[in-house]
Amino acid sequence: MAVREKLLIAVDETETSMHALRYVAQVASGMQEMSICLLHIYPEPPPDYYLKGGTLSAYKEKQDAKAERVFSQAMTILAEAGVSKERLSTDNRFAEGKTISEELLAVRSEGDFGTVVVGKRGVSRTEEFLFGSISNALAQHSVNFTTWIVGSDDY
Amino acid sequence: MIIDWDLYPQEIVPNLKRHRVMKSIRHQPRIFTDTSDFTSITYGDIIHIDGRYFIIVGHTREGRFGIDSQIKPWVPRVNDLMSGERFIIKLVFHETYELTIGQLKVTCFRSPEKEARVLELVNDNPYFMHGRSVLDAADNLVRILDIVDGRRLDTHIAKLGASHEEYMTEHLKEMLVRFLTSVAGIRLLHDNGLKHGDIRRDHIFVNREDTTFRWIDFDYDFYIPERPYAMDLFGLGNVLLFILGKQNFRVGDVVKHPDMGEKVMKTITTNDLSLISQDRIFNLKKLFPYIPDSLNNILLHFSVGTQVFYNSVAEFQDELQQAVDTLP
Ligand SMILES: Nc1ncnc2c1ncn2[C@@H]1O[C@H](COP(=O)(O)OP(=O)(O)OP(=O)(O)O)[C@@H](O)[C@H]1O
Ligand SMILES: [Mg+2]
Repeated sequence: MAVREKLLIAVDETETSMHALRYVAQVASGMQEMSICLLHIYPEPPPDYYLKGGTLSAYKEKQDAKAERVFSQAMTILAEAGVSKERLSTDNRFAEGKTISEELLAVRSEGDFGTVVVGKRGVSRTEEFLFGSISNALAQHSVNFTTWIVGSDDY
Repeated sequence: MIIDWDLYPQEIVPNLKRHRVMKSIRHQPRIFTDTSDFTSITYGDIIHIDGRYFIIVGHTREGRFGIDSQIKPWVPRVNDLMSGERFIIKLVFHETYELTIGQLKVTCFRSPEKEARVLELVNDNPYFMHGRSVLDAADNLVRILDIVDGRRLDTHIAKLGASHEEYMTEHLKEMLVRFLTSVAGIRLLHDNGLKHGDIRRDHIFVNREDTTFRWIDFDYDFYIPERPYAMDLFGLGNVLLFILGKQNFRVGDVVKHPDMGEKVMKTITTNDLSLISQDRIFNLKKLFPYIPDSLNNILLHFSVGTQVFYNSVAEFQDELQQAVDTLP
């Protein structure tokens, strides 16, 4: 295991994700050695997006703006819990020709992160089969790293 | 009906005069180079695209199961006026609808571009329909399809064997070997980043001449970025279910079946039903105890009770291949 623990947390605009973040803020605030990277990943635009006159650069701009909002919300939560700015970084990625979970795994391995954190929204098995579940995909692949799957409070 | 023949290019007049539709049309055939308003293009009209003249001789029909069929005005049957060849033409029809599964909604839509890309990829592949895509005068992407001379897979299977048991011993292996070529075809699409989009038992045609299975209808598309191919996989499970059962069984069908009835019905639990729609029975072993476990286990991956899902067509294909290899 890496000496300086590097933690990668996947964030989006959902309450599930912010909940996972608050959890990390709680447990990680005391861990001074741990650096935290906030990762936002966005998928390819829907296939009819270009047909309707959309451009890739406009799409990316919109996604960048969205990521900025998510990052600033996340930073506030972490700062309030006493996580210093120097320990934080952000990364916004386009999952081009890949699924979100594939991109997440790629970023994990590129950056050699020892721990990955995701929220879990709790879907039915039917939904999981048809639409996939990032937390499950991650759990399946976490062989040489650790995954925290943070369930929501209501369960 | 008085026809003004001067309205048509000289080259097509002799064949047009002779064409059988001229005997039954009620209006002067019009020539369309812009097919945007497809509902106004009717029987006897001529679509002029790709330097050719296609006269409309009929329309395909909604292939829905049981329900009275309606014509599809965007899918006319045509003859090339010069060569006499028959084709099916698909005109651009931008239709979208919402599919609700559990709490999630998926937007499905028709994509002529996607169908065109599939047609290009499978141009030399015998397990798909073939065709070419051309732009009309208004830049609509029109697909000119070779007709697969044959019938729908479900119609074909329904006629094989007098009983399920006879079908199993006499025909099942051949059906599965053929189906494996269809599965390999879908894998090819996925390997190339494309999906079929509407895998159903009436979208495989059994070619009359050599009984090969051929996929048709590639225009449906939807947006599920995390599991883009799961819908296709689910469709393959449904087709396999039909092939193994020779029909689909809902609980009501079991009750009515002379060899099954209440007794078998009482053994069915929720876990035996389709994971997605919870209507049809996927645990066929309960209906036909002689079905090999290796095949039934593949079906169970698509049932409510499954512990594991297939993540790719390759996984499904491998297990099916193994099961088929061990059949007598
Ligand atoms: N290449 C082909 N060879 C023979 N018949 C075909 C072919 N393509 C289509 N058909 C027939 O025409 C019907 C309609 O075509 P197709 O399914 O491609 O249209 P669609 O509008 O996409 O239909 P759907 O409502 O199923 O989405 C088919 O169900 C089939 O009966
Ligand atoms: Mg169809």
